[in-house]
Amino acid sequence: MRSAVLRANPLAQLSIGMFSLLGSFWIDDLDVALLALGVYAVAAVLFLPGWKYPLVCLGFTSIAAVTIVYSTWRLGGHDVEEAFANGVRIVVLAWPGSVMAGYVDPTRLADYLAQSLRLPARLVAAFAAAMQRFTGFGLAWEQLDQVRRVRGVGRTRNPISNGRYAASMTFALLVQAMRGASHASIAMDARGFATAHRRTWAEPADWTRLDVMTVVLAAALGAVAPLLTVLA
Amino acid sequence: MSSAVTSRGFDIRYRTIDLVSLTTLAVAFGVVFWAWGKLYEPLSNLAVFSYPPSSALLGGVWLSAGVVGGLIIRKPGAAFATEFLAAAVSTVIVGGTQWGWSVFASGFWQGLGAELIFLLFFYRRFGIVTATLAGALAGVFESRYEWSAYIPDYSFGSKLAHMGFFALSGAVIAGIGGYYLVRALAAAGVLDAFGPGREQVSEV
Amino acid sequence: MRGAIRLSDFTWRPLGRKAPVVAGLDLAVEPGERVLLVGPSGAGKSTILHGLAGALGTTLAGELTGTAEVDGRLGLLLQNPADAIVAEHLGRDVAFGLENASVPRSEMWPRVDAALDRVGLGVYGRHHFTAALSGGEQQRLALAGVLVLEPDVLLLDEPTSMLDDATATSVRQAILDAAGDRTMVVVEHRIGPWLEHVDRVVVLSSDGEVVSDGSVASFLAGPAPAGVWMPGLPTPEPLAVPADLVRPADALGVTAEDVVADLTTRTLRGVQRTRALDGFTAVLAPGTTTALTGPSGAGKSTALAVIGGLRKPTNGRVTPDLASRRTLELATSVGWVPQNPEHGFLTLKVADEVARTAGRVGRSVDAAAVLDVFGLGGLADAHPYRLSGGEQRRLALAAALAHRPSVVLLDEPTVGQDPGTWAAVTGWVAAARDAGATVAVSTHDPDLPRDVEHRLEAGVSS
Repeated sequence: MRSAVLRANPLAQLSIGMFSLLGSFWIDDLDVALLALGVYAVAAVLFLPGWKYPLVCLGFTSIAAVTIVYSTWRLGGHDVEEAFANGVRIVVLAWPGSVMAGYVDPTRLADYLAQSLRLPARLVAAFAAAMQRFTGFGLAWEQLDQVRRVRGVGRTRNPISNGRYAASMTFALLVQAMRGASHASIAMDARGFATAHRRTWAEPADWTRLDVMTVVLAAALGAVAPLLTVLA
Repeated sequence: MSSAVTSRGFDIRYRTIDLVSLTTLAVAFGVVFWAWGKLYEPLSNLAVFSYPPSSALLGGVWLSAGVVGGLIIRKPGAAFATEFLAAAVSTVIVGGTQWGWSVFASGFWQGLGAELIFLLFFYRRFGIVTATLAGALAGVFESRYEWSAYIPDYSFGSKLAHMGFFALSGAVIAGIGGYYLVRALAAAGVLDAFGPGREQVSEV
Repeated sequence: MRGAIRLSDFTWRPLGRKAPVVAGLDLAVEPGERVLLVGPSGAGKSTILHGLAGALGTTLAGELTGTAEVDGRLGLLLQNPADAIVAEHLGRDVAFGLENASVPRSEMWPRVDAALDRVGLGVYGRHHFTAALSGGEQQRLALAGVLVLEPDVLLLDEPTSMLDDATATSVRQAILDAAGDRTMVVVEHRIGPWLEHVDRVVVLSSDGEVVSDGSVASFLAGPAPAGVWMPGLPTPEPLAVPADLVRPADALGVTAEDVVADLTTRTLRGVQRTRALDGFTAVLAPGTTTALTGPSGAGKSTALAVIGGLRKPTNGRVTPDLASRRTLELATSVGWVPQNPEHGFLTLKVADEVARTAGRVGRSVDAAAVLDVFGLGGLADAHPYRLSGGEQRRLALAAALAHRPSVVLLDEPTVGQDPGTWAAVTGWVAAARDAGATVAVSTHDPDLPRDVEHRLEAGVSS
């Protein structure tokens, strides 16, 4: 049961985040916010394969939420409870989605975007191909960084020159990425991509019972906050 | 394939190079968005504790993909798709973002904001004014989304300040910054297949 | 007839060029013929392949007139196979062309498996990661992706130029095995190994005109074209480089003791660690050239990066401890040319690029003289990214070494280079070593001069 969520299809996985986002808009007091968060926490314990990754995500989201708590308190009339309600609401809004995004397989996602959601085939296929450049970008970034360091223009401890450094690295990476895009485009057209307005897909995009149950669970979790608010 | 001159006219169909460049930009900007998200927290804390809405000044970086994509590809939907896909990429990188699904929503609104400006100019003008407006409107849309999502209980004045800061950041970082980034890429010779490359070329 | 190629009055003027690269070219290739295209850089060899592949006027901007026709289906292999990868797993990557052709799923997978078997990647299977392949395996994968579509014509754009000799030989064999009686057009700098497998050699001049067109025998009997590695000729003489251009301020030896180094690769799914060096020991003395050799993946590049302070060892010791130095201090002593150096230029002008590092560390440099050595004399004001591929590589070499560092490190500097660049690189290396620099080169090239050879195998000195 704890690895089921890994086997669900990417759209089903992402639906958890979508419903948590939608549900969070109904939260307007602290009790509802805490209850909604509690339900997600229980679901995480029951259904997620590990606890470290969700906790790390929770940490990141909580840091963001703290700034919301403080700023809402300061700009919203110094109402402590309202401020905390907003903070917890942000966690409900963001945390489930940020955890689930970590389990999404980009290749499978592309299959489902094209076949289940019927997005334009060539755009999806090009996107799936571009995702493969991620690792290459990482290696290129490392080499660009090394070249700059050994040429006397590497990172320093000065924040302003580091800003320029980051800008120049980003630019160099984009140049390389766009040049690669030109080569990739030639190679893809040589394999018939130019005319592939209708194309088949090597892997199916099935909806199993598990996928449907995942979406139902996602909707149920998301409905907790609206239901509580309406009942209250 | 008898004779072909690189098309200079307006053609809304996407060539392979358009699609591949758009998605490549989206992945590259997705990485930038992701990294900026990690850097953003400490910086925004500084901003928040001085004057909270001013943290919106840091948001312009997240608006830049749409402006750049629109300026380079110059076709309907390019700005929206580049921004939205870049946002999507930044969430699926392991370690994701602190904002979860909200990033998809942000990508949607930011992309829409930039796209509307390009539409307003009928996809014919791609100068610094268009770029600045595209960045600014992306900022306005994002701020409006954040009113609902993150800061519903700010006072109205603070919300307006938030929107103003976001629009300013979008105009300067994404708009003007994006415009000059595209010019620099064109000068480096990697945009020859696109409008900005053709316009900036000097013959040797 | 399927497999025929016909170019007539084929003319291509790329964007930003006043003169066409290829003007009024006529060329016909019969079905099943194997043609080698030979000529110096800039002769338009790749342009012809791009024209046949339909990339001119679409992906590549410019003005095309005349015709370039292929009868039947074509397959194209590029110099850098990484550019052709479109999927995370081998099977999915090979299936890309079938998906585009709307082949039903049930027919797809048997054809994919057969194609993987034909190029020798069947042992890995469909689900192996494309990111885990070596350069040679990537080119085999690209070949499988082409073969699965049963092309009538194979277009090969320097498919082995980025590979070491042993790997290149096996990839070439895989291509030839697969080619069968298909039409084949090859572009390659190192033409020797191809000659016995082609029927016809077409020599192009630097302005894109056909100089000669005939059998291999008549080509070998004719005059040797410029800028081409002719089989049987001795390697070119290293260029004489003035000592003043390379003489370091001081001598600095480097010692590596029992170095262990792990590499981390970031993928979308997380971080992978691999051990690249596992007990590497070497003493590099001033005034000597050390060649790091060994098979692909033995850790030669990592060893070089550890020596130069570009990478901190996971374990073990390097003296002096260059890895802890700040950027300016490191640049003062070390010059490093990575494997694909043509990335990440720092300035907008070729001359500025050469002077950049020297300026940072407070040395003067005779940029004009350095550019002359590398054959870039007329390009001092050009934009670095606007140079051709070969010119960019030479500029990157010049930019990395012009500031006369004490430690000179080069990673595979001669792979894919034409004879002129080869002579410049070897000449620079020899001059730097004679002037007292500590030189280390990772290489597969047996002709590169060296004093000491250090062989690595699986991250261990052997």
